[in-house]
Order: sequence, then C-alpha cells, then structure tokens
Amino acid sequence: MKTKKRMSNRKKNIICNIAAVIIACVFLFPLYWIVINSFKLDSEIFLRKPTLWPHTFTLQAYIDQLPNLKVTLKNSIIIALGSMAIALVLSVPAAYGLAKFKVKGTKIFILIFLITQMLPASLVLTPLFLTFSKMKLLNTYLAPILSTATISIPFTVLMLRPGFLSLPDELMEAAEIDGCSRLRAFFEIVIPIAKPTVITAACFSFVFAWNDLAYSMTFNTKDSMRPMTSAIYTFMNQYGTKWNSIMAYGVLLIIPSVVIFVTMQRHIVEGMTSGSVKG
Amino acid sequence: MKKALTAAVLVSMLASLAVPAYAGEAAEKTTITFWHYMSEDKEGQFVNQAVEEFNSSQDEVFVEAQYLPREELMKQYTIGVVSGELPDVGMVDNPDHNSYASMGVFEDITDLYTGSDDQHFLEGSIGSCYYEGKLYGVPWGNNCLGLFYNVDMLEAAGVEVPTTWSELEAACEKLTTADCYGLAISAIGNEEGTFQYMPWLLSAGGSVEDLGSDASKASMTYLKGLIDKGFVNKECVSWTQADCEKQFASGQAAMMINGPWQFSGLAADAPDLKYAVAQVPKADDGDYASILGGENIGICTGANVEAAWKFISWITGKEKSADICKSIGRLSPRDDVDAEALYADDPNWQIFAEIMPNAQSRGPSPKWPELSQAVYTAQQEVFTGQKDVDTAMNDAAAAIAALG
Amino acid sequence: MKRNRNKQILGYCFILPAVIYMIALIGYPIVYNWIISFQDATALTLKDSNRAFVGLANFRAIFADKTFWGAMAHTFIYTIGCLVIQFALGFAFALFFAKKFSFSKPIRGFIVISWMLPVTVTALVFKFMLAQDSGIINTILMNLHIIKEPIGWLLKGNTAMFGLIMANSWVGIPFNMLLLTTGINNIPEDIYEAASIDGASKFQQFKNITVPLLKPTILSALVLGFVLTFKVFDLVYVMTGGGPVDATEVLSTYSYKLSFQLFKFGEGAACANVLFVCLLIVALIYLRTISADEEV
Repeated sequence: MKTKKRMSNRKKNIICNIAAVIIACVFLFPLYWIVINSFKLDSEIFLRKPTLWPHTFTLQAYIDQLPNLKVTLKNSIIIALGSMAIALVLSVPAAYGLAKFKVKGTKIFILIFLITQMLPASLVLTPLFLTFSKMKLLNTYLAPILSTATISIPFTVLMLRPGFLSLPDELMEAAEIDGCSRLRAFFEIVIPIAKPTVITAACFSFVFAWNDLAYSMTFNTKDSMRPMTSAIYTFMNQYGTKWNSIMAYGVLLIIPSVVIFVTMQRHIVEGMTSGSVKG
Repeated sequence: MKKALTAAVLVSMLASLAVPAYAGEAAEKTTITFWHYMSEDKEGQFVNQAVEEFNSSQDEVFVEAQYLPREELMKQYTIGVVSGELPDVGMVDNPDHNSYASMGVFEDITDLYTGSDDQHFLEGSIGSCYYEGKLYGVPWGNNCLGLFYNVDMLEAAGVEVPTTWSELEAACEKLTTADCYGLAISAIGNEEGTFQYMPWLLSAGGSVEDLGSDASKASMTYLKGLIDKGFVNKECVSWTQADCEKQFASGQAAMMINGPWQFSGLAADAPDLKYAVAQVPKADDGDYASILGGENIGICTGANVEAAWKFISWITGKEKSADICKSIGRLSPRDDVDAEALYADDPNWQIFAEIMPNAQSRGPSPKWPELSQAVYTAQQEVFTGQKDVDTAMNDAAAAIAALG
Repeated sequence: MKRNRNKQILGYCFILPAVIYMIALIGYPIVYNWIISFQDATALTLKDSNRAFVGLANFRAIFADKTFWGAMAHTFIYTIGCLVIQFALGFAFALFFAKKFSFSKPIRGFIVISWMLPVTVTALVFKFMLAQDSGIINTILMNLHIIKEPIGWLLKGNTAMFGLIMANSWVGIPFNMLLLTTGINNIPEDIYEAASIDGASKFQQFKNITVPLLKPTILSALVLGFVLTFKVFDLVYVMTGGGPVDATEVLSTYSYKLSFQLFKFGEGAACANVLFVCLLIVALIYLRTISADEEV
C-alpha cells in the first residue's frame, strides 16, 4: 500500500516535471528566438521559411552594429547608472523612514508612492517635455536620468519597506544606548543588514532605466544622445526586415536583465511582488 | 583679502586652462552646424568626407555635420523654429521645403543667390526652393524612381522587361514563385509611401489634387490587384524603400520600384546580382511617369549666414555637386553637369539620367505634408483591406479638399 | 518629548526628499498637464510663457475626433483582452507550480524573466514572430495545418490587436502568477487536508477553499493588471505604431502622436488627461479595497 503510494507520487513528480519543462520551453521560446536569429546571415533571414537553427553561425549582425553601439551603449549605461544612483539615494532612506519612524502622514506618503507608480509615462511626457525644453535639458543625460528615476523610486520604496519593518526595534535602541546616533545607526547597522534587498533595489532601478523607451525617445532626439532602446527603434524604422541586426541589438539589450535575473533570481522574484503591491 | 586673491588666481588659472582649448579653433574658424539625413552607414560617409574636405580646404569656416533620421530631422525643425535650436545649414526633403519655409525654418536667400555668379540649377529642381516668390535654399541632389529587375530571373522565366501595367502583371505572374514575389514596392505610412505611389498615380492620369477621379482610383485598384494576386508582398505596407532593396538583393523579389541611391547598397548586399533598370511601367493607355525626389539645403533662421552660404555654395558648386551626387546615388541638379558624359560607362545610371528630365515634382505646396498624409493613408487603408478603393480615395480627396 | 520631536524631524529628513522628488517630477507635471490641456499649446506657442487659454477647445477637438474614440475603444478592448488571458493563464500556472515537484520552484522562477526584459525587445520579437512570411508563428500554424495561407497578423486591425494582447500577456502572465502564488502559499495546508477527509473533490476544494480565500489577492491582481495594461505605451508604439491606419491606436500612443508628431501639445495633454481620469477611478477602487482588506 505504502510503496504503491510512493510509486504514484514519483510518477506524479515525473509527469509534473515534464509538463513544467514543456511549459517553460514554449513560454520562453521568444527568448530563444531573439538569440538564435541574431546569429543568422542576411540571406537566411530573408528566406520565406524561417529556420529553427541557423545554417551558418555568424557574428555579422553584431559587427554591423559596432560603430553605432559605441555611442548608444555608453548612453544607456550612463542613463541607467545615473537613474539608479538617484533612486537609491532617495528611496532607501525613504523606505526606512516610512518603516521605522512613526511620523505623521506616513499613510499619505505611502499613498503617494502607490499612486505615482500606477501613472503612465504618457501622462507626464508633454509637461515634462515643455519644462525640460525651457530648462534647456533636452538632449542631455539629465532629462532621461531624472525622469526614469520616477519609475524606480516608488517601486523600490514599496519593495524595501517590508524588510525594514521586520528589523527589530531593539537593534536601533541598543545602538542608541551605545551612543550611536540614529543617522549613524542607519548607515552602520541598517544598511549592512539590508544589503541584499538594497542590492536588489539597485538592480531593479538599473533595469527600469535601461529598459525605458518613452522618456529617452521623447527627450533625447539627437543621435549622439540616444540610448540603445530608442536606437533600435529608429533602426527598425529604417530596416524593418533586417531581423538579424534587430535581434542582435535585442540580445545586447536583454543582457543586463538576464544577468541580474540569473544571479539573484530569488531576491528579484520576492522584490517583484512586494514592490508592485504595497508596503 | 588673501582668500579673495587666492580665489582670483585660481579662477584665472582655471580659465586659462579652459579657454585655449576652444580658442585654438574658434579664433580662426567660425564653427557652423549642418544637419542632414544621409544615413551614416551609407550615403552619410560621403557627406562626411565632403565636409572634411571643405574644412581642410580653407581656414575660415568649420562645419560640424550631424546626422538625424529623416522623420526625426523634420520634427527637429518644427520644434527648433520655436525653441531656437536650429542648425546653421539644414537639409530638407524637397516636397517639404515649402512647408518649412512657410514656418520660418529657413532664411530668405534670394538676394544672396541672385547676387552670386553661380546660377546653374535646373529649373525643375530649384523650383521647390521657392516659396511665395522668394528663395529659401538650393537643390542638393535629385533622384527619381525606376523599375529594377533581376536579369537572371527574367531570363529564366522567359519574360521581357515590362513596359505597361498589363505586361507588368503578366511578368509578375510568371516571376512569382513559392520563394519569390514578382515585385517589391514600399507602401509605408509616411512620405516614402506617397513617393512610391506617385508614378502609378501620374501615369494613370490622376493627381494628388484629384484623388477621387476615376484615373486616380484606377492606379490604386491596379496596385491592390497586384497584392491580392500575391505578386506583391502584403507586408509592403510596413516596408521602407531600404527594405525593398533588401528583398530584391536577397532574391525575394524579382523586380522592385526604387531609385539610384540603392546602387551602393545593392553592390554591398549582393555583389553578384545581375540587375538592370527600366522605366516604371506605364498605364496601358498612359505615359511613362516618374517622380522627382531629392533634397535641398538651406540656411536656417538665425544662422551665421555668411559662413553658411560659403559652405552651401561650395558643396553645391559644379565640381563638388557632380562628385558628391554620384557617390550618394543622386543626379546633380545643375544644368552645367553633363550627366550623360558623367555616367557614360554605366547603363543603369543612364536610364535614370533619361528618366530624370520628365520626373514631376511633388507640390510645391506649404501643405504638402498634409497632402502626402492623405495619400499614404488611403494607400494603407486600401492595401490592408480596411476600406475599398472608392471609399478610401473619396475620403482622401475630401480630406485634401478640407485643407483648402 | 524633545527626543520624540527630534525623531520626527529626522524621520521627515529620511522620507521627504523622495516624496518631494516625486511631487516635482510627477505631481507638478500632472497639474501642468491639466493647465496645458486648456491652453493653445502648439509648436508655435512652445516658447511662450503665457499661452492663451482656450477653455475646452482642446477637449472639444479630441472628442470630435473619430480616432480618439477609436483609441478609447481599443484601449478597453486591449486591456480586457490582456486581463482575461494573463489572469487565466497566470492562475493556471500558479496552481500548477504550487504543486510540490522537484522543478516547480526553479522553473516558476525562471519564466518570470519575461517580465524583466525591455518591452521594446519584447515588442520587436513578437513583431518578428508574427511577420507574414518570415514569421515563425505562421510557419508553425501552417505545419500543423491549422491555417492554409500565411496570415498578415500585424497588417489587419483585429489580428494586430490580438498580436498585441499576446505580447502583453507574455509579460503579464508571470506577474499574475507570482501574485497569486503568494496568495496560494498563504492558505494553510490543513484546510485542504480537512476538506479531502470530508470527501471534497479537487474541484470543490478549488471552488470552496482556494477561490474564496484568494479573493483579496485575485482582486489586487486584477486591478493592478488593469492599471499596468491600461497605460501601455512602449509595446504598442514599437509593435504596430498604432497602425495599420489607427486600428490599434490606444490612448497613450494617440496622446503621444498628438503631442510629439503633430505638435498639438494642448490636444495631446487633453487626451492624456482622459487616460488619467480612467486610471484614477480604477486606482481609487483599488486603494479602497486594499485598505479595507488590511491596514496600509
């Protein structure tokens, strides 16, 4: 009786695993398709029947993009890093403050972050464009940096707050008794303890800015100031059928997300839910 | 006191560090900017070469060339006219020149031009630079459309080069196979789509001013027929002319409608491809028609006029015009450049040189962008099956009538 | 007492910079956007600091515009289509991966990656896969003899909308799955055990235990899904650009087109404000449900 049950459990396990692998394969097919097509030759891309596996592997699509990439890659990195820095400097203390200082208005502040997170970029594009234009910020790194940080700040605040909430109050009180100011306690005790989540927050901020198209495309129209997302869009408008080149660009664009995701998958998955829902 | 002194010394030191780096160029040369849309991987290289040559040929003006994609450049003009962020010299697609001149993007250069001793532009080309009797630029290069055909494919199918619409359709029928379409065209929803449609419209006897006429509708019905019969890929509604070139070069289409600026691309993409050029086939009871494409350049509002004019008159001068136009796949808009002699060794070029004098211009009209939008929208509606030919063309005619 | 006050002040020092930043870069633009929507703001008045007020002219202009109502309808069709697909599949995935088998956690974690990818790239790869001739989806469907002729997915309004919904669901499914997984994991195991001892079938357990206990999670997944989908921009802009001929134009892309292609900033702002009002209503419903559900 018992062995039979174990047998059926094992069988169930195998069936479920096979099903899961099939689901993953089907679901992640687009990812495979991006990568595999970036290695095809023009002649193969233009075939009427797409091939599942390249006849010949070539790096030509990447080589074609090199001169262009030097500029756009640099722009993407500057924008993503800048935006990440702003987001971290502002949101880590804010999340901590909202978790551990019982100030008046905490509820309202959390509401502000919840609401701003739901608003679309297209709502603020026109006013920001007019403001940035007046301030002569169009076609500078500052414009996309400042605006993309607004995507990550609410997200990271909401994501970090539960972690800070769960820190025991005694920790801070003990520090205070030791004559350590609350400010120092924040830097010397809280940050080190929260390091994994802060790093996750940094990753999210980087990826959000890196992935942005709307802000960068609207504010930075000069070729020399474009990040990769808007460059690939422009390229597509010119050579809409050179899919190998487009996909090669796509591969480069997904690298940060994939690397971050694979190295810290657990934290990301946890952060995703807490950052989007509520603090 | 001492502090102030130290500060002053520091500031002057910093200033001395910072200034000479600029002064080196600026003291002797006036820097001007030049915006163009010759894409950097192709024609743009030749533009940059020419600019470098200009910069080293004299020591008064230094030109900084900046590439922007066409659509983007047009946006920048619209915004720039208000924000004041315009270049000194700007390139513009010739049908749009009127519209931007009316918006105040370009300086009136009538006096500069009439006062110069070099007035050798073809009537038809410089015509697009005039707005309300004043001159706002000079032509940079001309092009027009023709029929490119894959020589081997036509031979293998036993097809003569089509000259009329019926012949074209018959040829397409023989040339279209499981792996290859008969003809590639671009019907994308922007100026390129309008440009490509114009030869068909004109040959049928239609016109942009009269899209509701039977002749205009006949041209649309004909093209829609080619798509429905599977001779032309349905995806042409999202293809640029560069995409057509890729299809033709890779053997996915036996023929295409395109212009001489694709020669260099074809040479790079398919060096072994045997192709030739002919006139765009004419309506069975119509005449050959082609459409004049090309760019003008002008001095933008608020620019350093003197320096800008120096550069413009150099790059559109007889010597440079012939040279640069050939390398970027344009025909020179000058009457003193002998195209036939220049292209004596290249039969494909000769065909375009022959087509060119009869190519009609779009506009000129300050409302051209809106007119063009009506045309390409109708084309997209018909080709994607959203509206039938009658409705789409009547709607477009109504939209154009509403523009006044 | 004083210590407490200091603590309050320090607290504000921690919190306020981020709040002020968001107010400056989101709050102020929202107000400004309403002002612009009542102004004669076009390319020609861009530099003017006191643009003329034109009352409701911008709103009247867009309400008289067929494309605007099309965009409104498309936005709702798109949002509801996405919600149904991504919620149903997300729920199914969540239930499936809640089973305890050896690969359940790693694979569930891994498919979440589609949520992290740049939407631009997602849009491009779906555009490629849905291409008529070189698209893999047509090839597969034809090999399976489901269709005879290749379909020009993005060349026709209805199929283009379907393509967009597919692409967006690809991003949304893992997100829904994760939200629901968290909820499912919070349901105590022994409830199911008790139920199965009482002889309840799997379906009865699902209907009578899982769904009722998940209600708050389901609600927030739906509302959040609605908000995130309703505001879509990148995906539509890159995949179809609102085309063919406005057939997939949504409010956000139409607002963008008005502002940055036609330079009618006033009308663009008015269109964005309509989007804003729709979102606000849903956002308020959402906030009410979560604060009723649990103290924020």
